[in-house]
Amino acid sequence: MTMISTNEQEAMRDSFARLLAEHADEDALRKAIDTKAGYDPALWQKMADMGITGLIIDPEYDGLGGDADLLEMLMEEAGTRLLCSPFISTSVLAASLIGSSSDEATKSKTLSEIVAGNLTIAVALTGDKGLWSAGDVAVTAKQINSAWQLDGNASFVMHAATADKLLVIADDNNGLRVFLVDPDSPGVDITPLKANDPTLRLSKITLSKAEGQLLEGVGDITIENALNLARIALAGEQAGGVKRIFNITIDYLQTRYQFGRQIGSYQAMKHMAADMLVEVESATSAARHAAMSHAKGAADARALISLASFACADAYRDVTAQAIQMHGGIAYTWEHPAHLYWRRARTDLWLFGSSDQHRDQYLTQLEAA
Amino acid sequence: MASNPAEISNEDVASELEAWLDANWDSEKRCEKGKDKLDTKSWLTKLLEAGYAVPTWSLDWYGRGYNTKQARIIDNILKDRKVIGRSQDRYNLGAVTVYRMGNPELKQELLPKMLTGAFSCLLYSEPNAGSDLAGVRTKAEYVAGKDGGEYVITGQKIWTSNANEATYGMLIARTDWDVSKHSGITFFIFPMKQNGVDIRPINQITGESEFNEIFIAEARIPARYIVGELNGGWKVLQTALAYERLIMGEGATERSGKEKSNVHALIELAQRHGKLGDPILRQKIAQAVAYRHLNALNLRRAKAEIVENGSSSLMSLGKLAMSRVQHGEARVASEILGAASLLDGDDFPDSADMNFDSAKSYMHSIGGGSDQIQRNIISERILGLPREMEVDRNIPFRDVKSG
Repeated sequence: MTMISTNEQEAMRDSFARLLAEHADEDALRKAIDTKAGYDPALWQKMADMGITGLIIDPEYDGLGGDADLLEMLMEEAGTRLLCSPFISTSVLAASLIGSSSDEATKSKTLSEIVAGNLTIAVALTGDKGLWSAGDVAVTAKQINSAWQLDGNASFVMHAATADKLLVIADDNNGLRVFLVDPDSPGVDITPLKANDPTLRLSKITLSKAEGQLLEGVGDITIENALNLARIALAGEQAGGVKRIFNITIDYLQTRYQFGRQIGSYQAMKHMAADMLVEVESATSAARHAAMSHAKGAADARALISLASFACADAYRDVTAQAIQMHGGIAYTWEHPAHLYWRRARTDLWLFGSSDQHRDQYLTQLEAA
Repeated sequence: MASNPAEISNEDVASELEAWLDANWDSEKRCEKGKDKLDTKSWLTKLLEAGYAVPTWSLDWYGRGYNTKQARIIDNILKDRKVIGRSQDRYNLGAVTVYRMGNPELKQELLPKMLTGAFSCLLYSEPNAGSDLAGVRTKAEYVAGKDGGEYVITGQKIWTSNANEATYGMLIARTDWDVSKHSGITFFIFPMKQNGVDIRPINQITGESEFNEIFIAEARIPARYIVGELNGGWKVLQTALAYERLIMGEGATERSGKEKSNVHALIELAQRHGKLGDPILRQKIAQAVAYRHLNALNLRRAKAEIVENGSSSLMSLGKLAMSRVQHGEARVASEILGAASLLDGDDFPDSADMNFDSAKSYMHSIGGGSDQIQRNIISERILGLPREMEVDRNIPFRDVKSG
């Protein structure tokens, strides 16, 4: 479905990178961290103006109709800057779920609003265990007359406290269904959860006899598809982030002197750096190939998404941890950015499934191939 | 032969060769047309005279002046028709080195022999010069005489494969002990079949004997068999090594058909031994398989970058990454087998394979530049980190400590 040429994709990547350089540098990042919302709404609007909030939304609803490969590419840029935004929840998860619905009225009402930057949506996908699997969904739905009533709770919901709408995954005894919920309606409680990563906002949502509007035509498979797109986006973010913290570290190895020589001249450092480069490049290759394969609808897409999910997450965790060690004391300070990458890496490890889950899934895919 | 190779279309390159082969080669019998069995020397001479042994070389030197694309066409046809002696401009290291770095007289004398079956082994490494190849101590002493005199060689070389079959050895030896270590080395073409050359096979930890140790005691080389300049051998060696790595790299990509079977080997092993349901082993198997898969994806990216930009720094990561793959796969295979890892031999083929692979993994992580040397190369050439101080860099080699 890619109608965007390679040149146009590259141009988009460049302008997004410039936008972030101007409005999402480290100062801006630290300002965003200190706000209640946890992101800069003005930057979100600028992203909308560039079409990025509607990146994967069909052109019929004013979106760009971009594919997974473009999504991954732009997420590398976002990851480079540790961008704080409701992009993955609104523009990936919600856009994908609503986009796959057969409910034309809701689609035309919500999708173009996402594109315009007027609407953010938080997606409640998992329960207290945070397994991001069907078995972990702890919200039930039952139909009373023509209305749907939701009960239970969902956790680890990103950017819910500031969201205009919620999408809640619930079990109606026949499988998973998706419901649009007004966060201000009766029976909906949103309790912010303190996150270790200051660049992220998480909430727990408790529903008691809350009213939900069924999103027609969305079930287990479309939910899995939306999650897979989110995994590709996350892998791209990780690939961008791991490259950035690696480059920061290499720069430091060349400018920091101890015992009269650059610390990067010691093999103790060089060998760590060489091993880290293998991780960085492998993460990039995994994220890009997963995205390309998904965009082409190739048979190995599912295996590659699982591979990218654990390879990128583990690489990000390991490289950010080593980066702090290689910087020494300076990276033990809050003022140095290394810990922000480290925190993001440790957060990403648990979003949309753990590395262990992804490894198991990867092997299952290979067994079937 | 057309006067200007660049003007020949790819179709003509192919049809000209096809016609020549129809007239001269019997693909069924794999020998010269009209004969019953292969006479290697006679066939290779014929191939050489036709310019098909080294198609990218110049018209003056047995070649056709073809570009790499045309040479690829030639190579594919020769491969399809099972022709002996193809693409020696890529695979015949001795001949390539002499062609690139030798003077005209040396080329005249040696290339016809080297291209018609007299191939070369490598005499670079020494017991005390492994990772530090420039530390060679094999001695070459000049003795005046007719035809420009000769060099008398004494020393010990190691890790040479095909030494018994080789006519020549590509030898680096020390010709000046009073200059720094890189400056006193000379590159020779060493005649292997002579007194004073003792070839002893090395018994490897895998039980194989692919490599030999070569003891050289006062063996002789005509002085005209120097490649490049006297004491300029380090530069020649760099060129020769670059070709070797290029061929090894191409070999790695040509073998990628094997990639799929390797990906599934561990899964099949676990299935055979009823371990594929073990959640801990599943994690380890998946991770081992993933490392191989990731390396293949890096290689795919590298190839795309080469098409686009002409080069890719990703190519340099493959060797280091493969060490992790091979050691890791052998370790997981052992964990799948459990206590059966203790067994070996024909009655326990899975155990025997695993134990062999465990030992063979070192061939990859030590041979052709150890992982530690690879990490230095990656951090210096790709990441631009400074070299570690070298204590032997600017002192006469005579004073360099060795052991």
